[in-house]
Amino acid sequence: MGTIIKNFIRFFIIVAVQVLILNKISLRWWSQPYGFPIFIPYIYPLFILLLPFEVPVAGLLVIGFITGLSIDAFMNTPGIHAFATVLLAYLRTNVLNALLPKHLSDYKAQAPSVKNMNWTPFLTYAAFLIVIHHTAYFVIELWSMQNVGYLILKIIASTITTLLLIISYVMLFTKQQSR
Amino acid sequence: MRNFILFIRRFFNLILFITLEIVCLVLIARTHAVQGVDLISSSNSMVGALYQKQNEVVYYFELKRMNDSLLNENKKLQERIVGQQQWERVKDTIVNRGFRASDTSVTLTYANFIYRTARVINNEVSNTDNYITINRGSADGIKKNMAVISGAGAVGKVVSVSKHFASVISVLSEKQPISAKLHDGTFGPVVWEIGKPDVLIMKDVSQEVKIRRGDSVTTTNFSFFPENILIGRVFKVELIKKNSMQRIYLHTAVNFRNLQYVYVVENTFLQEKMDLEEANK
Repeated sequence: MGTIIKNFIRFFIIVAVQVLILNKISLRWWSQPYGFPIFIPYIYPLFILLLPFEVPVAGLLVIGFITGLSIDAFMNTPGIHAFATVLLAYLRTNVLNALLPKHLSDYKAQAPSVKNMNWTPFLTYAAFLIVIHHTAYFVIELWSMQNVGYLILKIIASTITTLLLIISYVMLFTKQQSR
Repeated sequence: MRNFILFIRRFFNLILFITLEIVCLVLIARTHAVQGVDLISSSNSMVGALYQKQNEVVYYFELKRMNDSLLNENKKLQERIVGQQQWERVKDTIVNRGFRASDTSVTLTYANFIYRTARVINNEVSNTDNYITINRGSADGIKKNMAVISGAGAVGKVVSVSKHFASVISVLSEKQPISAKLHDGTFGPVVWEIGKPDVLIMKDVSQEVKIRRGDSVTTTNFSFFPENILIGRVFKVELIKKNSMQRIYLHTAVNFRNLQYVYVVENTFLQEKMDLEEANK
């Protein structure tokens, strides 16, 4: 019961941070006026990444769809975030199975975290899924292959920013073990 | 039948996945036309209310900058009034009779504009199509297809309206070209160069037109905008060798990064004009 409430609260906090703070920041790397795409830092995929291991794939898909739609409503991009997030939710189980030594059902009442996965697998897991999410999102948003370079730059820059945000979240909200 | 149920149970996740993605694609396809934004957009009342709350917090920090922009706008309007007065005096001396302005100038009123003020409560510049949310809706008389301008220049067009909020698609959008004209009356569409929140492009201007840096580009009276609203200023002219046409790069007149107040302009004859044009097709 506790995990449900915890995830519920986390949903609202992450969506609020995304919508009210991060959406207002249009990042532009290096302040040279032209040449580099501007983009918004995204953190909301983190919510799907941190859901417990036991959530079935169907549940993940529905949760991802709802999360994506709520971001869409705020960003005026009906369907695009939802599409990318559902894709991320679908691939999550496969990526976790590939990265973890034991089968997923062996982890009782746990969620993916640095503590039970260690840094490298966790970051691989996050980076892989976020690259896929951002690629899907920006390809649909731009919907043209005219300037592939621009697209790739935007994906790379945005992914790095998102990963930095995720790392800082993990560092802030993981309980340190007492030595 | 049993096999069918087994099939569904076996591939339930995949089927659910594909269904959800198709729903998303339908939503995306619906909004590809500008008209379809209604369903999920920031003009819906819950999202609007949240943005309003957020804006009330950040509003205070922007007051200083807003004062400056209002002062500038006032100055511009004052200059226009002064210019008008002098022109009337000149006309009077030429005619050498005690005419009033209304007697001498024959103006044809073919468009009647009603201005409404609105505050920007959400604004974005980094997407392919950028939307602005304003805190006026159908209760204040805002309707679809109204033009939105600010003191500095053209901003966009209303695309969806709820009771208290409205979504505006800004000039910085791939799917919203606007009709523009140069100082000598040459007109053509102005589109946004994606990814650069202060650059617009006017393509395919013929070579005979002489353009200098700093020339202003304004709206025409055959779009939904009122005439002579500044869109931007030329900063680069490029000759395309392929079709020997010029491509003009503009800096937007409006700074979309700190948009605070806008005017929603209602053209009372727009519907009639659109109906007439529709009847010809």
